[in-house]
Amino acid sequence: MTVSPPFTRRPRLGIDVSGALNLVGSLVKYLGPSALVPAIFAVAYEEPVWPFLAAGALVSGFGITLERLTHGAEEVGVREGYLVISITWLIVAAYGALPYVLAGDPQLGRPVDALFEGMSGFTTTGASVATDVSALPESIRIWRQLTIWLGGIGVVTIAFAVLPRLRIGGRQLLESELAGPGVEGGLSGRIRETVRRFGTLYVALTVVAFLALAAPAWLGAERTMNGFQALAHSLSTMGTGGFSTEPQSIGAFAGLTQWTVIAIMAVAASNFMLLYRALVQRRPREAARDEELRLYVVILVLASAAVILMLWNRAPQEGEEAVRAAAFEVTSIVSTTGYFTVDYGQWPTVALMTLALLFFVGGCAGSTAGSIKITRHLLVAKLLGRQVVATAHPELLRPVRINGAVVDLQTLLAVISFVLIYLAVFVLGTAVLALESSIRGPDTAPLDLIYASASTLANAGVGLGVAGTTGSFAPFGDTSTLAMTGLMWLGRLEIVPVVVLLRRSYWRV
Amino acid sequence: MRIFIVGAGLIGERIVSALHADHDLTVVDLDPARLKPLAQHYDVATARANAASGRDLLHAGIADAELVITCTSRDEANLVAGTFARSAAPAATTIVRTQSADYVDIWREGRIDVDFVVSSELETARGVTTAIGMPAARHTDMFAEGRVQVVELDVPATANVVRRTLRAAQLPSESRVAGIIRGGRAVLVRGDAEIEPGDRLVVLGSPRAAREWCQLVAPRRAEVHDVAVWGAQELGAAIAHALVEQGLNVKVIEPDAERAGRLAERLPRARVFHTDGLDPAFLQREGIARIQAAIFAMRDDARNLFAAAVAQLHGVGYTIALAHSPVSAQAYERHGIDAVVDPLLVTAEEIVRFAHDPRTHQMAMLEGDRFMVLDLTTRDDSELLHVPIREMPARGALIGAIVRNGEAIFPHGDDVLRGGDRVIVFTEAARAAEVERAL
Repeated sequence: MTVSPPFTRRPRLGIDVSGALNLVGSLVKYLGPSALVPAIFAVAYEEPVWPFLAAGALVSGFGITLERLTHGAEEVGVREGYLVISITWLIVAAYGALPYVLAGDPQLGRPVDALFEGMSGFTTTGASVATDVSALPESIRIWRQLTIWLGGIGVVTIAFAVLPRLRIGGRQLLESELAGPGVEGGLSGRIRETVRRFGTLYVALTVVAFLALAAPAWLGAERTMNGFQALAHSLSTMGTGGFSTEPQSIGAFAGLTQWTVIAIMAVAASNFMLLYRALVQRRPREAARDEELRLYVVILVLASAAVILMLWNRAPQEGEEAVRAAAFEVTSIVSTTGYFTVDYGQWPTVALMTLALLFFVGGCAGSTAGSIKITRHLLVAKLLGRQVVATAHPELLRPVRINGAVVDLQTLLAVISFVLIYLAVFVLGTAVLALESSIRGPDTAPLDLIYASASTLANAGVGLGVAGTTGSFAPFGDTSTLAMTGLMWLGRLEIVPVVVLLRRSYWRV
Repeated sequence: MRIFIVGAGLIGERIVSALHADHDLTVVDLDPARLKPLAQHYDVATARANAASGRDLLHAGIADAELVITCTSRDEANLVAGTFARSAAPAATTIVRTQSADYVDIWREGRIDVDFVVSSELETARGVTTAIGMPAARHTDMFAEGRVQVVELDVPATANVVRRTLRAAQLPSESRVAGIIRGGRAVLVRGDAEIEPGDRLVVLGSPRAAREWCQLVAPRRAEVHDVAVWGAQELGAAIAHALVEQGLNVKVIEPDAERAGRLAERLPRARVFHTDGLDPAFLQREGIARIQAAIFAMRDDARNLFAAAVAQLHGVGYTIALAHSPVSAQAYERHGIDAVVDPLLVTAEEIVRFAHDPRTHQMAMLEGDRFMVLDLTTRDDSELLHVPIREMPARGALIGAIVRNGEAIFPHGDDVLRGGDRVIVFTEAARAAEVERAL
């Protein structure tokens, strides 16, 4: 039986805050050991070890303390779920920021910048305030990559175990499919099972990605890549984050590697459920028939073709280089990874506008990608199609279906609300950036602001202008940096869990 | 034959009236009031019994039956009684009537241990497709690893083959007519036998020929592409489903929002409209005048008649309506409805047919049955080897197909048998042993 926590003094609180915090504590306490990875690199490269050890100890200590101070509930309800993931992601971002602050890094050491960088990592965004990545110590560099990879596991977990239960994600259908035998009820039980299943797949894919990147280097076909870089980039590509160890991002490597990265990005942003079915359960047909995956591939191909046409004879790149650069940047943005290979800032405006539009596409549901995601676009398009048909045939009933299954009205409403809220948050975010830029400077071009806002909300991470390929998000003022940190947080949690917390009715009985 | 009928409702009564003259009937029902008129009209034994009570059924004498028909209005009671009959009278054939078509699927999967399941929904849907004139294969069975198919076809009055002899009709080459059932009795299959409307043909053929047969038996009515069904209750839904399966464009009109929504979800290939289908603007907008057939499958016969009248007013040329009572059928015909399907009547007819059907015996393999389909391999010393089929002593047995070297041959008069051939023989059950000996 669930024992209600001793909140008798405030009977009007309808939320089991104690139980929620207990779950948060039990989750974040496992984060500590992850700091050992950069610590090992720090030892190897003779850099300070203690910032990582201290950060790890602090976060685990915090988690354990939080768990001790609160009463755990046997089963945490759906309402508490919103609170749990919102708080967890904040704590995780702070944990990501700790080593930067503790090490007193000249580029990342300021708390606001460090929090931005930490949030950027754990939300798999990849936007950076570090202008010269090559000046960062090796251990800090690998820590940045690792935060993205860890964030990726978290994203896959919440996408499959948490968001469907919170009625977010437009794929409630997944929930019933997922509930296999042995999955005990309750949020924590599901999280454990999901981490085991999809975490294994994620790790396996990362190993494959690492080998795909490192093998040409070992065979001598790729002289610009070493083992460290292959590891670093396999971590951040699988998480669809865009941190790189190189100032020129993937542009530092040969064409072959760039094509490999395109493939990894495309896989990382496709539905892990389908990947699991195709690779583990040997049911590739399901993936081939999936409407979302098909549309995803079509979008990638068509958008690449469009950008290639726009670049033809109008960009510094020519021939295969132009094709590669266009395909790379399109895949990078649609998958919300955020790498670059060339200075796309020099591309014609129409190409830049196209890329800006792609920020709102996003990868497939159930992936580490961010943004609106293909499923939602598909559902909105189908709903619009149905409405158009309804004007000619008002009595006709035509349920919206995805992969043959009927999508209920509640889900459709949730999807539409999400798209609208997403756009509203984007506009608000852009407004904050524009205000600060006009009041405190530096005055920034409109498209640059749109890029900054759309890119952080979509967890993509590429910027334009000051935040472009040669710059970073550092020139933005503190308010803007905090705003973008918030956008990344909102975007990663699919907005709704955070917005829900703002309602008074959420907290009431 | 001793036939035990569970359920004295409308279906039970029709079965009794069809079978009472030739057979020894026992009818049981929970309600004595329903049994009384039966006992007065027909020479049948009646007993009051609960279909779901094994004790009651045993007491009424189910153990002595050779054929058990369960046809109460409750599917579950029928299934319980049917499976009980299986153990109480293991030698008897059991026919279970259900409303829902789902049970037929489950029965086909072998999960219900009775000989036949006859579903009112399916029979009604078949009645409608036959009335529209769609190819109407009823039951098919595969022999010899799918190389030989046994198909049963109902011949509509408008089919191309009607009133022709088998010899004169252009029949698909890889096939043979194995049996003709007319009015519940088998007709001897000979070259000069004539096909009459309403006949049921049992055809053995290759899968391709089976498809050709379906087209051949399809009537010459103007091509049907678009149809509309009024009513999405069980029967309407089953009809819509069957028509969609036939590849037609189906519109379904249902005034109840929830029911309409359910069907729209279940049947994506039909266009379901939430309306009563009486609004002239709607009928105009959706081009109801252009459909080739309208089916009225609502539960209320008065509404069916009125809706049909409105549809005819808007130019629908061919109307079919379900009649839930004999008087409805008469009223429909009086007021210009082109075809009437009585769900209970078609169900009863199908059950009665089963009582005579040769395939009943083939599938059940019962002693004392009249026909069987045998699957035999010829011996090397058979006297019938190398004898042209024309010259064989063909009395009541017919070689439908020969499987030789993995290929199916549908023999003609000149073909001969060789040792080791596998033959599919359609025969009177009484001669089955003789046929086996001869081959």
